[in-house]
Amino acid sequence: MVRDFMALAGSSILHRRIRSWLTVIGVFIGITAVVALISIGLGLERTVNDEVAKVFGVDTFLLAPRQMSNSGRSNGLAQYMLDLEWLRTVDGVATAAAVRQRTAFVEGQAGPDGRVTQGFLPVLGLSPELVTSFPAFIGSLELEPGGRLFGEDETLVAVLGKDVATRLHVEVGETIVIAGDGDKPELTLTVIGIVAPTAEPSQQGFTSGISPSGDTIYVPYGTMDLLWGPANDVLTTLVRTEPGRDVDEVAARVQVELRARGSEVTAVTYSDISSAIGTVTSTVSAFLAGIAGISLLVGGVGVMNTMYTSVLERTKEIGIMKAVGAKNSHILSIFLIESGLMGLVGGIVGTLLGLGVSSLASAVIGRIFDVRVAVVVSPSLIVATLAGAFALGAVAGLWPAWRAAKLPVVDALRYE
Amino acid sequence: MKSAMPLLDLRGITKVYPLGKTAVHALRGVDLTIERGEIVAVMGPSGSGKSTLMHILGALDTPTGGVALLDGQPLHELSEHQLATLRGRKVGFVFQTFNLIPTLSAQRNVELPMVFLGAPKRNRAARARDLLIKVGLADRVHHRPNELSGGERQRVAIARALANDPEIILADEPTGNLDSETGATILTLLQSLSTADGKTVVLVTHDPDAACIADRIVRMRDGRVIEEMAHGS
Ligand SMILES: Nc1ncnc2c1ncn2[C@@H]1O[C@H](COP(=O)(O)OP(=O)(O)O)[C@@H](O)[C@H]1O
Ligand SMILES: [Mg+2]
Repeated sequence: MVRDFMALAGSSILHRRIRSWLTVIGVFIGITAVVALISIGLGLERTVNDEVAKVFGVDTFLLAPRQMSNSGRSNGLAQYMLDLEWLRTVDGVATAAAVRQRTAFVEGQAGPDGRVTQGFLPVLGLSPELVTSFPAFIGSLELEPGGRLFGEDETLVAVLGKDVATRLHVEVGETIVIAGDGDKPELTLTVIGIVAPTAEPSQQGFTSGISPSGDTIYVPYGTMDLLWGPANDVLTTLVRTEPGRDVDEVAARVQVELRARGSEVTAVTYSDISSAIGTVTSTVSAFLAGIAGISLLVGGVGVMNTMYTSVLERTKEIGIMKAVGAKNSHILSIFLIESGLMGLVGGIVGTLLGLGVSSLASAVIGRIFDVRVAVVVSPSLIVATLAGAFALGAVAGLWPAWRAAKLPVVDALRYE
Repeated sequence: MKSAMPLLDLRGITKVYPLGKTAVHALRGVDLTIERGEIVAVMGPSGSGKSTLMHILGALDTPTGGVALLDGQPLHELSEHQLATLRGRKVGFVFQTFNLIPTLSAQRNVELPMVFLGAPKRNRAARARDLLIKVGLADRVHHRPNELSGGERQRVAIARALANDPEIILADEPTGNLDSETGATILTLLQSLSTADGKTVVLVTHDPDAACIADRIVRMRDGRVIEEMAHGS
């Protein structure tokens, strides 16, 4: 009998083509919005995670300054002490690279007026391993033509930010002088590269604290030792674990042992970062889902309205069917199938359109922000959407059908 | 299985329609029995309660007072569900305005009462075609109502009324929307249902000629039966 009802529902849908299409359109507009917005949210979340993984690497963790929260000690300590050589010997650690920062008295070359420029400037000490082992991390330090970054065994070299180079009147091949601490000697460093001024801020800034500021002088990590002795001014450290090791385990162990040795660090793994980012992106997703929900509600009211009038129009037909022996349950089944079917068709069209819209939006967003935005097709979203669309249609049609079925046959027949 | 009971038995039927603050007394106490195989013509001026009476006979409506028995079964004791089955199985209604489903072909309209009784598709289709042949529409099986003339539509409606082989055919002014020539053929068809198939036919009509085919004429006025007359000859 269900098949007969489906045939009845189907012929009614096909013979009221315009009305059916209007209903379907009402459904699919809402569904398109829902699927598109939620997919875009999921895609952004995936993209941010992918980007973090790319820069950071899933086998890598980071040593950030420990945040003293409720210990009474100030948490102004943005720098920490570190024995990098010891860190490299820890079980499970494959490579480690660190960044130190100081402010130093620097002397450049004579300017056009014949006077030598000098002043206090920020100096960053970079492990050469940053270049060799963590290229994505350092990626944004693009040099002007003719320059290069320092290699593993170099010490008396420097790379300058564009502004510093200009102010100190230094070009590649010339020298600068940096004063060390108290008893340490001053060092004369050869400038081997100048950072190209970039319009865009660094993508890496959020993990490293390195952004290619025009004010900074970059020197090899070892050179910092010569000027200021053992590191107690580390900003950040990147640690890559040996293949196959559990990153979280190694990170936890390194944190404990380093703290025991007096380094106030906190180990941050990829999963820590991605879950932190996750809370942000899921807020965005929830916001998008909220908008989607509102548009679905509006669409749903529209569908109910179309269904309601269309069922009302057919009150007489319901009367005829009852006059020839239809039971209330038969009437309800026919309309349930009919309106549910329209909901389902609207759901399918809306899902396809929504996925189309979301991949289009991903492409546009990707172009604007110059990243590859992931297109996420979530099976559970699709299943939930189709079920929801069927239910929406069914409920929207069922209520007026139930009312019509309850009418006395004669009254339904008299309806024009 | 013969029974001494009349097929239909109305006792003291009243029907009141509320209309604003007043009430319309459509039926004011009708007693009427209808025997198996009879053709009964119901006549009377417009507004005298003929349609209301037919609806109560066919279980399309419930009386305000009185008892309606079908085969000795009081209709008011039946549930909504049982009434639906009864309408499908025992009664075939023919309306003045045909009341076909516009989106369905002639054949599917005729199948409809069988669908609701759960008849298998094969039997249904075959029976629907047989019935359409019987009413003279062999070549209109796949036409939709709007592709048929008034007389043809009423034939489809009669075929539909016969679908579940009911005992009673209730026809409320079946020729009211037809020209007299077409109307005459419809009346002949209804007459043959009684004479050839032994159906009980109750027919509302204004047409004195139509009354000729009846075994009995019931005259109504103001919600009452004012005269019952056996049609001799
Ligand atoms: N649903 C209704 N509501 C109010 N009054 C009605 C309704 N149906 C019928 N009537 C009234 O009941 C009376 C009998 O109607 P009806 O049985 O249709 O008469 P007939 O078929 O003999 O013309 C009329 O006065 C009519 O106006
Ligand atoms: Mg009438």
